[in-house]
Parts: sequence; C-alpha cells; structure tokens
Amino acid sequence: MAARFSILDLGKVLFRPGAVFAALAAESPPVTRVFFGFALWVGLLPPVFACIGTLNFGWRLGVEPVFLPRDTVFAISAAYFVALLFGFLSSAVVARWMAVTYDASQSLGRCFALMTIVGAPLAVGSVIHLYPHVFINVLVLVPALIWSMYLLYRGLPIVLRTGPNRGMLMASALIAYLLVAAVSLLGVTVALWGSGLGPRIGT
Amino acid sequence: MGTASYQDRIVTAFTACAMFWAVLGMLAGVYVAAELVWPTINFGQPALSFGRVRTLHTTLVLFGFGVSALIGTAFYSVQRTSHVRLFAPGLAWFVFYAWQLAIVLGGCSILAGWNSGKEYAELEWPFDLAIAVAWVAFAIVFFGTIARRRMESIYISNWFYGALIIVVAMLHIVNSLAMPATLGKSYSLFAGAQDAVVQWWYGHNAVGFLLTGGFLGMLYYFLPKHAEQPIWSYRLSIVSFWAFVYTYIWAGPHHLHYHAIPEWVQSLGMVMSLILLAPSWATMVNGIMTVSAASQKLRTDPALKFIVLSLAFYGLATFEGPMLAIKSVNVFSHFTEWTIGHVHSGALGWNALITFGTFYFLVPRLAGVPLYSARLANVHFWLALAGVMLYVLAMWGAGVSQGVLWLSLDELGEVRFSFNDVMAAMKPYYLLRFVAGLVFLVGAMLMAVNLARTFAGRRTIEVAPPGSRVGAGGRT
Ligand code: HEM
Ligand code: HEM
Repeated sequence: MAARFSILDLGKVLFRPGAVFAALAAESPPVTRVFFGFALWVGLLPPVFACIGTLNFGWRLGVEPVFLPRDTVFAISAAYFVALLFGFLSSAVVARWMAVTYDASQSLGRCFALMTIVGAPLAVGSVIHLYPHVFINVLVLVPALIWSMYLLYRGLPIVLRTGPNRGMLMASALIAYLLVAAVSLLGVTVALWGSGLGPRIGT
Repeated sequence: MGTASYQDRIVTAFTACAMFWAVLGMLAGVYVAAELVWPTINFGQPALSFGRVRTLHTTLVLFGFGVSALIGTAFYSVQRTSHVRLFAPGLAWFVFYAWQLAIVLGGCSILAGWNSGKEYAELEWPFDLAIAVAWVAFAIVFFGTIARRRMESIYISNWFYGALIIVVAMLHIVNSLAMPATLGKSYSLFAGAQDAVVQWWYGHNAVGFLLTGGFLGMLYYFLPKHAEQPIWSYRLSIVSFWAFVYTYIWAGPHHLHYHAIPEWVQSLGMVMSLILLAPSWATMVNGIMTVSAASQKLRTDPALKFIVLSLAFYGLATFEGPMLAIKSVNVFSHFTEWTIGHVHSGALGWNALITFGTFYFLVPRLAGVPLYSARLANVHFWLALAGVMLYVLAMWGAGVSQGVLWLSLDELGEVRFSFNDVMAAMKPYYLLRFVAGLVFLVGAMLMAVNLARTFAGRRTIEVAPPGSRVGAGGRT
C-alpha cells in the first residue's frame, strides 16, 4: 500500500487516515514516489484554484474586487506552487532532523509523506479560492486547518514510529517550525513588496 | 508545626486570584473583540466603550492575571530553591492584598474613564503610588528570602524573577513620573518625542522583563521540576540571561519606527531587536532539549503538554518580533492587526499556556491530591491550541489585508481606501478572532472549574524545607 501511496489515495488520506498511517509505518515510501505521486498534485491544487478564481472574479479583500493583470496572476500562481512544494520538502527535512531527538523514524520518505498528508486538507479546502472572497475562504479553510492539525498530532507517532508522548512533543516542535516558516514568508513578501517588487494594487 | 513549613497559603491565594483575573480579563478581551464586529453593543454607555474596555482587558490580563501568577510562582519557587521559608510573611500578605485591591479599584477607575494616556500604564497617579509601594514590598520579601538561603548558589529562575522585580520597579517609577492635577488626572513630566521614547522604553521592557523574563523564571523552575530533569545546559541559561538583560533594554525604539525620534535611535532599536533573537532562541532550545531528554520517564500529562506548546509559541513570538522590528517590514505591519497577532501569539501562546501548564502542575501539589480531571485538562489543551492558532491566523490575514489597503494609492497619489472602508473589510477576520477568543476563554473556564474542584474542601498542605525536623519532609 505504501509503495502505491499516490494522489488516488486522497480520499482515504482525508477520511480514513488510520489505514494510510499504518501502511506508511509498515513500509517507507521512496521520496521520488511521494513527490511525483502525491506532493506534486496536492501542491498544484491551491495555485490552480487561486489562479482561476482571481482571473474570473477578482480578489475581494472586502472592499471592491481587485483585478490583477493576467501575467501577474500567472506569475504569482507559479510562485505559490513553487513555495508550496518547497514548504513540503523543507518541513520534511526539518522533521527528519528533529526525528533524531525524538527517537523517531528518520526516513525522509515517511517525513515527506506525513507533511504532505498534513497539508492535504488545506489543499483540498483551497477549492474555495475559486471564489476569492475572504470571508467565505476563512469559513472553509478554518475547519480544514483544524483537520490538518488533527492529522499531524494523530499521524506523527504512527508514521514515524515513536511513542505517543514523544510524538506529541515532536508535533508541537514541528508546529513551532511551521509557524515560524509562515511568518517568515509573510515578512519576506511584504519586505520585497515594500521595496517595489511585486504587484501594484490600485493604479 | 505550621511555623516551620513553607509559606504556601499565599501561593494558593495568588493562584486563585490569577485564575479569576484570567477569566475576567479574557472576557473583557472577547467583549472588545465583539465590539469590533458589532460596534453598537456598547449600548451608548461610556463605561462599555471600546477605549475603556480594551484598557480594562490589557490591565486585567497583564497585571491581574500575569503579575499575580508571577508573584505566586516566585514565592513558591524562591522558597524551594533557597530551602528556607519566605522572609517577612506578613509583608508578603500585604503584597497580596495591596496588589489585588489595586487591580479591583484600578479596573473600576478605568471603566470610570480615568486614564493617564500611557499604554500599559493607564492607571492614574494614586494607583501608581500604591503599585510602587506594593512592588517594593515584593522586592523586600523576595530578596530577603534569597539573602537567607541555605544553598550556596542562586538558582537561575531567581535571576529572572529578580530581574523582573528590579527592572519593573525602575520602569514603573520613571515612566509614571507625573504632576497630579486632580485626584483622577495627572500630566507626565516628559513631553513630546521624549515622552514617546520613555513610554516605549517602559512598554517594551514591560514586555521584555514581565511577559518574557518573568515567565522564563517560571519556565526555569517548573519545567525541570516537572520533567524531573536538570536544565539541558545550565551554562547556556546563564549566558542567555545576561545577553537577554543587556539587549532588551535597548530595543524599545522599534515601537517608534518612522516617528519623530532620531533616525539613529530607531536603527539602534532595530539592531538590538535582531540580536535579541539569539538569547531568546537559546532559551527555547534549552527548554525543548530539557523536555526531550526526559522522554524516558515522560508522562505526557496535560501540564507538560501546555509547557511544550508554550515553547513553540515563545519561539514564534520571539522570531516574529525581531522581524517586525526590521524597518522595511514595520512600515507595512505597523498600524495593522499584525501587531495584535504578534501580541497574542506571545500573550496567549506563551504567557497563558505556560501559566496554565504551571498551574496544572502546581495546584495538585498545593492541595496534596491529584488533579480533579485529567480529561478535562486535555480538552482544555485542544481548545487552547485551536483558540490561539485561529487568533493568530485571523490577525495575520487581517494585518496583511489592512497593510495592502492602507498602502494603496489612487491615480492622484491619495490613499485609496478610507478608514471606514478598511474597517468594514476587517469584519470576517474580526469575527474569526471573536470565535477564537471565545474558544480560548471556554478552555480557561474549564480549567478554573477543574482547579477549583481539585481544591474543593481542602487546605494548602504543609511542606517543610529539607533538613528541618518537622512536617512531611523533603518534598520540594
Ligand atoms: C525577541 C523578542 C521580541 C521582539 C524583538 C519584539 C518586537 C516587537 C515589535 C517590532 C513590535 C511592533 C511595534 C510596532 O510596530 O508598533 C512589537 C509589539 C508588541 N510585542 Fe513584541 N517582540 C518580541 C517578543 C514579544 C513577546 C515574547 C511578547 C509577549 C507577549 C511581545 C509582546 C508585544 C506587545 C504587547 C506588543 C504591542 C505593543 C503595542 O503597540 O501596544 N513581544 N514587538
Ligand atoms: C480570550 C482571549 C483574548 C481575546 C479575545 C483578546 C482580545 C483582544 C482585543 C480585541 C484587543 C484589541 C485589539 C485592537 O485594538 O485591535 C486586545 C489587545 C491586547 N491584548 Fe488581548 N485578548 C485575549 C487574551 C489576552 C491575554 C491572555 C493577554 C495577555 C497575557 C492579552 C494581551 C493584550 C494586549 C497586551 C493587548 C494590546 C495590544 C496592542 O495595543 O498592541 N490578551 N486583545
């Protein structure tokens, strides 16, 4: 099962994660398999949805729809895609690094699979980007986020084969990393933007 | 027999009050959060207006909840790390009553509209005087106990609590220097830009030495105690203490980027803020490694879960802070909800969670029985995690949108969106934050019930210092 771990298992990943976790624990998938079979597709969803939504409806920050030029939307979506894949991979590397401390499995394949599974509810939830209204997005993405957190805490001890106690500690440490990564992304974006790079809104 | 054991009744009293203020203060927070969504719910009452209740919120959570928790845990740990009872117990009770009375009356005065106009120091001069007296009494009890210690070295938690006491005394006294006009109104001795610099020297070091340093004292005593492990690196804790104390004091001007203060002062504040990342993260690593080393006999009870998660948010807040201090980021984040998100990732994620963890550990020890319900505490853990995550994400979303909207200009170079437009656009985020706060508050209420049930019908048990011949003996 683990060797076949692919995007076709998405339904199972989301709604019957126990079986998927057990399979990953039994057999570590190769990194390339996770990448091409799962991560790539999961990572593709949000940028595609966002791209279509923004082009058709404009982005509503609440005031009035903001329409960006086509090229800009494509460029931003592509950057979004790359950032997501980088995010999955880098958190997998961080997880593997942490695994030493928490006596967990150091297989990069497992860590990578776990991190993409954790991202999956958000990626699927991002279908709501098709209608880029902030409030509606918030409504859908919040439950998705809670589901992601649940998958992280539940899955980590099983997939990485460590005790529930250490799994709990490691999941919290990973949350620290994810939060810091998220806020860095915000910081870098606004700093670049402040220096004149990036889209113009308004004029 | 009673005379020889540790003075723990006062710890119980502070803990109970801290819990009370936590619930009340967060209730005020939830209320102001609701006012931002539904502005009419102040019903035209001045006492319920945003400006007053917001001030009430910060005063109750910072000084009611935060400081009560800090004084209580300081009294608990200083006795145990010095192997003696509190110095001047009568004075310690004076601190207790004076402090609680100041919060009660101070809270009322804020609702009545008294306000010195200095953030986090809004209480008017009569309260400032009372606080100064109570604080000096606290210092006498604390340092008196240390002076009588029966151990040679002074344990690291006491360094942090000690720094808290000294620096807050200094900040409070200087920043509150004012000329009283009437009972309820005074004018600061500082004017203009000077006033701003003094205010943020105070404001930032209140964050530094109270919300960070004081709670690190709590961490350094309760985490190793609970994990039954020595600190991972004691040397690192000492080095980071001195780096921390030295650096923090200079970072205040990052609150005044692009304001009418000298450019070099702003740059100094920015550089010092960046340096601050090092001691902050050294402490986080020290904490995380201490827990990890304990994993053999780790019982993942609720208390430890809270402490571990609080370290994660401590890491976030102390990373985010230096980043916000960079001028090219601050130009965007200042005047947006991003700041509020940063505040609460520290306040909820770090201060509240570590205090919760500490109380779940402490109260059963004070009562001499196990926690009433570990299950309830676990539920609280998830509510707290969900609450703080949603709060922070809502504010990040709000902050970025606000930044975009504030900074967008029209064809003529005028700001494109009015204040009202922008506030209207914030509604979804404010609603989410309101829900997040409610979830967090419900968790805290469950905790209050849980702790009250643990203590119900009991008195604080007596524990004797090691080496004394009375009492249960040896349990620290
Ligand atoms: C390395 C540590 C930290 C640094 C360098 C830092 C830096 C900053 C910066 C740059 C701001 C925004 C100033 C502005 O634009 O107005 C800020 C605001 C704030 N921070 Fe931090 N921060 C740190 C850690 C913390 C922690 C641990 C807390 C704990 C709760 C905290 C609480 C606050 C508060 C309450 C404010 C709001 C002040 C106000 O405007 O009323 N900070 N901080
Ligand atoms: C139920 C939880 C809480 C809720 C719903 C809440 C809500 C709020 C709201 C609505 C504001 C005003 C924001 C604005 O003006 O835009 C605020 C400010 C603030 N809160 Fe809270 N809060 C909560 C818990 C806490 C706790 C536990 C602490 C401290 C330990 C805290 C510290 C602060 C501080 C320092 C500010 C002022 C920030 C600034 O001026 O930059 N809050 N809170």
